[in-house]
Order: sequence, then structure tokens, then C-alpha cells
Amino acid sequence: MSDLDRQIEQLKRCEPLKESEVKALCLKAMEILVEESNVQRVDAPVTICGDIHGQFYDMKELFRVGGDCPKTNYLFLGDFVDRGFYSVETFLLLLALKVRYPDRITLIRGNHESRQITQVYGFYDECLRKYGSVNVWRYCTDIFDYLSLSALIENKIFSVHGGLSPAISTLDQIRTIDRKQEVPHDGGMCDLLWSDPEDIVDGWGLSPRGAGFLFGGSVVTSFNHSNNIDYICRAHQLVMEGYKWMFNNQIVTVWSAPNYCYRCGNVAAILEMDENLNKQFRVFEAAPQESRGAPAKKPPPDYFL
Amino acid sequence: MEWEVDERELKAAGAELLPDGRRGVRIHGWEIESFKRPILNSLSLQQWEQKLQTSHLPEMIFGDSSLVCKHVNSGIRVYFNTFDALVGWKQEALPPVEVPAAAEWKFRSKPSQQVILDYDYTFTTPYCGSQALEKNSEHGRGAISEDGSCSLHWEDCKEQIDVVALASKEPILFYDEVVLYEDELADNGVSLLTVKVRVMPSCWFLLLRFWLRVDGVLMRLRETRMHCVFRDSAKPIILRESCWREATFQALSSKGYPSDSAAYNDPSNISQRLPIIMQKTQKLKIPDNL
Repeated sequence: MSDLDRQIEQLKRCEPLKESEVKALCLKAMEILVEESNVQRVDAPVTICGDIHGQFYDMKELFRVGGDCPKTNYLFLGDFVDRGFYSVETFLLLLALKVRYPDRITLIRGNHESRQITQVYGFYDECLRKYGSVNVWRYCTDIFDYLSLSALIENKIFSVHGGLSPAISTLDQIRTIDRKQEVPHDGGMCDLLWSDPEDIVDGWGLSPRGAGFLFGGSVVTSFNHSNNIDYICRAHQLVMEGYKWMFNNQIVTVWSAPNYCYRCGNVAAILEMDENLNKQFRVFEAAPQESRGAPAKKPPPDYFL
Repeated sequence: MEWEVDERELKAAGAELLPDGRRGVRIHGWEIESFKRPILNSLSLQQWEQKLQTSHLPEMIFGDSSLVCKHVNSGIRVYFNTFDALVGWKQEALPPVEVPAAAEWKFRSKPSQQVILDYDYTFTTPYCGSQALEKNSEHGRGAISEDGSCSLHWEDCKEQIDVVALASKEPILFYDEVVLYEDELADNGVSLLTVKVRVMPSCWFLLLRFWLRVDGVLMRLRETRMHCVFRDSAKPIILRESCWREATFQALSSKGYPSDSAAYNDPSNISQRLPIIMQKTQKLKIPDNL
């Protein structure tokens, strides 16, 4: 058994790798990812997955439902880390699979694959806690810069983490972005990872936060038409039923973190596409408690004031 | 893993857990019960949007979750639910808070070609609980409407919640925390409304907390505490203290406090740094005819 296969087995048991192993794995991953396009070509059949957010045992449930990699070809739409308890193990397992089976798993970048966001929402603290230093966080966030921004399945289904951008009307415009950087605060690359479809606008809307685009049905219609695609597949927003179509089936949101943050009680979904692009959503629930390893200690009474 | 009660302590206090898998406790004529359910599904969400006349609600609405404190004999019910809290949000309707990136976006976006949404996406609410006199209570007193004129209301008072007594380590017979709603502000912070309760042999105490952090901009902490000391009289005395705190990151930074959002994950640890902007204590006024 090669070192890499041994590491994959170890990660599947939710045991993190040594710091030196992470460093070596990231170097290998970088060589593969640097060659990928900003609009990475993906062949069908393929199974599309949305946000995971460090919910390692629920991702194992996902693989149980969808089949193991490499037997199943996977496309993950980003947000591997933050919020859940096991961002380190989750991301490293996906990365190890990428290095081992580069043509059978595609990872694209979500807005959480960023230095700034991970420092606030959990991944940074988790690395510090599990390794005693921030080196692993550095190796991983450096790899984030190399992740592709979108994928195109059989030239017909455009996949991205967030959504569209007023600065981008063609796929070629995405191809020209220099993606190897921290996610910027504005511009096309930012929008692809951050924007949301919105029912109550038809064209473009601006979030009440003063930053962040919302796009309506006519924006999607014209993007799909000019790029000759059937529909857009994206993630980024929690949907209680695991997936949600909008704008006359021109865009679908896929969400793959069941019982999000361990308290929402939502189901998750993955989208399976066969070689003829026939699609089937597979809905699944959170992994049962007993498969989650050792239970947490009984908490002390909370004398809150 | 859930917190667990000691059976002997329950018995010694004359209390019992609610039967049939319900979460809660019966003690001194009170029933304290929590309901924890999944977030609303798409269909319920649409109904709530219609009822509240909005197309924007928090992304995680625990609409069927609640905490109820019921005084069985009098029919007095103090409770906390998501719907009433969101009604409060709609009524207060604060102007939107701009995130730091908004300054750069002003140069970028062309307002003439966009719809700018302007609802209060922070879901800030003045909610401090709901109360009602339950019809068909055991004494058959009916016909008193919720929050009606001859019903329950809160009056300002001089008394304070006895924090010293609450700091004593009496055994906790029931504890729970219920999330009512939560929103991640599209990864620009957190908006979270929760209520937690602890029931001891001598009293119950609860804390409703609205916690808002807009990363790099501001924090709001609106807390309501309620305390009820068990007594033999038919009419319970319930004190309610509301305390609102608010600070901008800029103000905190000028006082020498850290200004990175990661330093402000747990409101319990940093509440003292946020100046108080409103504080009042009230007592539940119970109709004389009870």
C-alpha cells in the first residue's frame, strides 16, 4: 500500500495527518490544481455535491449514498471547511482523493476557502487546536488559491459555488481571471463565489449590506442562452429539502450538509447525473449518532446569569 | 451529549420530569417545557412570508421551537417563540447596516441598473417574550384574551433580579437552550436569537438573548432575563430585566480592545465591553380577579 493510500485510509477514520504529511500532500495537490482551468471541464457521469462545512461524518454518509471515489466521479462545489467540527479531516480527505484520483474528483472554490473567512468561522482555530501551530492552516489556505472557480459538465451544465456576476457574461471571461490569489472583496471572481439568485429582482439587485450581488431570472436566462448551457448548478445557500430549483429550472441550488451546524434538522442532497445527463437527486440525512466516534463528555451545569 | 438531571435532587425538590418524552419539569405548580424542532421547510417558510408580509426571513427559522413556562393553577403562561420575535423585527424595521466592503462597492455598482434591497437583514428584534392567560385553565377562568387590556402586562418596578441568589450553586433540575432563529448574514457575521432556562429547587431563571455581530461594523446584544422565586401564594411574582448593549468595532478599537471579528464569537465573554444603551426592570402585573 502506498503512503497516499495509507493516508486516505487514515483520513477516512477521521484521523488527521501529521504536519509534514499535510505539507507534502499540498505540494502534490498544487501541481495538479495549477493545471486546471478556471472553468474546469468535467465529463458525465458525475455526482455534484454542495457545501460540506467540516461535517466529516455526514460527508462519509454522502459517500455511502453516492458511492466511493473513484468508482463514482465527483464534483464538489466548495465550502469544505468552517462551522463543523472536522474541517481539517474533511478537506484533507478530499484533497488526498484529488491527488490520488485527479480525473475522478473535481474540487472548486467556495467563499469559505479563504484566509479571511476561515479566521472568523472556525478552520483557523481548528488547525491551531489540532496541530498547536497555524502551519497546516497556511498550507491549506495556500492550496485554496489554486482551486478552480467553476466547472462545465459536458459543455451543458455550468457549476459554480455562488452564482453570476454583472462583470461576467461569457465563460471565456471567467477563463481569463488570474485566480491564484485570496478571494478579492469585489469583482468577477468575488461574485462567482458570493452572489445569490433572488426571486424578487428580475435583473441585478444589491444586498442591503451594500456589498454582494443578487441576480434574477432574466440574468440567468440570458447567461444560459449566450453560453449555450442548459442550467446552472450552484451551492452556497441552505435549502431545507437539500435542493431547490429556481427560475423555471434554469438554476438549481444543491446543499450537502445535513442537520447543518448539528442543529437545523434539514436533509441534504447530491445530484447524480448519468452519461446522458439524466439527473437524479439523492436526498440523505445526517449520519446516526453512533457512527460519529466517541460521544462528547457530559457538559457541566450551566449557571448562566 | 445532553445535560442530565440527578433523580434524587428532583425528588428532594418535589419536582418531576414531564412524561411521555416531553422536555421539561413540573415544580411548585409550574410546568417549564421546551420544544426543539427542525427549521421550517420551504412550504412553511412561504406561509410565514405571507403572514409577516416579507420576502426575507432568517435562513434558519426554528419556527416550531419554543420555551413555555406555565403556572398551571392561574393559567399564566410566559413563553418565547419565533413568530412573535419576527413580528417585533418587522415593526422595529431598523435601517440596513452597511458592511465595510460597501464603501468600495459604491464605485462599482450602477444604482440605476439595480434594485437595492433595504430591509433590516440583521433581524434585530425588540422581542422580550410573550405572555398570556390561558383559557380553560383548571379554574375555568376563560375569556381573557392574549395581551388584552384586562390581561397580563408588565409594569416598571424598583426591585431587581437577585443575582446573588442566582449565583449560588443550587442543583439545576432542568436546563435547556432553544434557538429561535439564526442567520449568518451571508458570512458577514451572525444574528442569533436564543432562550435558555434553568430550574432550581427555589426558582426558575431564563435568559432570552438576541446577539448580532456584523463583522467589522457593529455588535448588538439585547438580553432579557426573567426570574421567578417559587412561593406558596396563588399569584407568582415574575421579574423581567431587559438590557440592550451596542458598540461599533471602531469604538471598541479606540478603547484599545481587539477589532478582529474572531475575538467576538461568544457574547457572554465580551458583553461587559459593550456599553448599555437601555436597561429596565419590570414586574408582571396580574389581574386582581385572579
